[in-house]
Amino acid sequence: MSTSSGRRGEGVGAGSPIARLVEAFHRLPGIGPKSAQRLAYHVLRAPAEEAHGLADALVEVKERIALCGRCQNLTERDPCSICDDAGRDRSLLCVVEEPLDVVAIERTGGFSGLFHVLHGVISPADGVGPEELKIEALLRRLGEDDSQVAEVIVATNPNLEGEATAMYLARLLRPLGPRVTRLARGLPAGADLEYADDLTLGRALEFRQEV
Amino acid sequence: MPGRAPRVLRTEAIVLRHRRLGEADRIVTLLTPAHGKRDAVAKGALRPRSRLAGHLEPLSLVEVVLAHGRTLDVITQAESQALFPAVHASLERLAAALYLLELTDRLTVEHAEPDGVFGLLRTALGRLERGDGLHLVSRTFELALLDAAGFRPEWERCVACARPLEADRAAWSALAGGVLCLPCAAGHPEAGPLDDRVLRVLRAYQRSPYEEAARIRLDPDLAGRLEQVMHALARATAEREIGSARFVASARAAGAGEGEAGGGA
Repeated sequence: MSTSSGRRGEGVGAGSPIARLVEAFHRLPGIGPKSAQRLAYHVLRAPAEEAHGLADALVEVKERIALCGRCQNLTERDPCSICDDAGRDRSLLCVVEEPLDVVAIERTGGFSGLFHVLHGVISPADGVGPEELKIEALLRRLGEDDSQVAEVIVATNPNLEGEATAMYLARLLRPLGPRVTRLARGLPAGADLEYADDLTLGRALEFRQEV
Repeated sequence: MPGRAPRVLRTEAIVLRHRRLGEADRIVTLLTPAHGKRDAVAKGALRPRSRLAGHLEPLSLVEVVLAHGRTLDVITQAESQALFPAVHASLERLAAALYLLELTDRLTVEHAEPDGVFGLLRTALGRLERGDGLHLVSRTFELALLDAAGFRPEWERCVACARPLEADRAAWSALAGGVLCLPCAAGHPEAGPLDDRVLRVLRAYQRSPYEEAARIRLDPDLAGRLEQVMHALARATAEREIGSARFVASARAAGAGEGEAGGGA
């Protein structure tokens, strides 16, 4: 190796700060080795404040964000702002797979009840069974003496794992008293009937509404 | 050009599973009648308005058109043929179906020659759909699948010395793939006792056509023992845990006292 190429390689070898940053980006989901390199060199070229901002945000998110003891959503304080909001309807509880689903349902502005986040969905082939989800916490919550929940809306995704999770939850929750419902299934906005699968079209017909 | 694979393939398939690929795509694992198991990309399947996604959920019998890509095939069309609604409506049936799908995925290799596994799975799912006993469907499928995959378990003769065995004088080993006579079992530290009723049912299931096997009545205790043996055999053959086997038990426990929790024969 020539001296010049040796100089060019300085600081990028295994164990160097750049290599460690590339490796750290590569560990993120969906980031391949090339994207990891691009991100690392972007950080390297960015102004120092931007890089520090990123580092601070990473540290802060790990230090300050925890799970709400009631709904298991990500929060800075326990209980979270939704659980602590006296104006929310405590008779309605919406069970979702992930924290981002809470954001999606809140965005609709059409739900004023409380949430419970499962942090996943039953997917036996991937090694995720009911024990790996926040189902125990949900059962504890509904079994509390002061629980006012009259209806649990299971808002898991309308796919095979989501359906299995919803059915499993319904089995466990019904004996505790509340009504257990599932989000309606139908055609998404802008869809073509011609391309809809039979299950979706069948459900859309079954749960049709008066115009 | 002779010998070159056609650029487009239209085939029936059962969707075994899918996994995420990037932002909006999915890799779908398909089991086909003539082209074995193969992975294919469903582009845009994670988008809400995808025309493919609804047809490519696991536990669907579909007709697909695959375009040969450089690394993976691409699904250009998909239309569901059967979605097994009765299976989707029952937790125990759904758990059993998930187990059949996972087991098939674990015991088959990609691009294998036609081996009848598609037909076995399609038939078993059809039986779950029409309401046949969960233990009967699962056990007969496991035995047939192991056979088709080249791991036929031996229930009649000792797997070590080939001596025919009386049902009440046999041990068994999942690693050895069947029964052992008592002297040979001494050389297999992992071997354990096998209930003679369990062995008689396994022999009957392996020898008889399905309709005859369906006449055998199983009490819950015997059904549970059979399940333990077959799940252990499946785990040893696949050389890994079959996660859905655990979910079959969870679903049954959640349904205790409800519906078809016992599963029946």
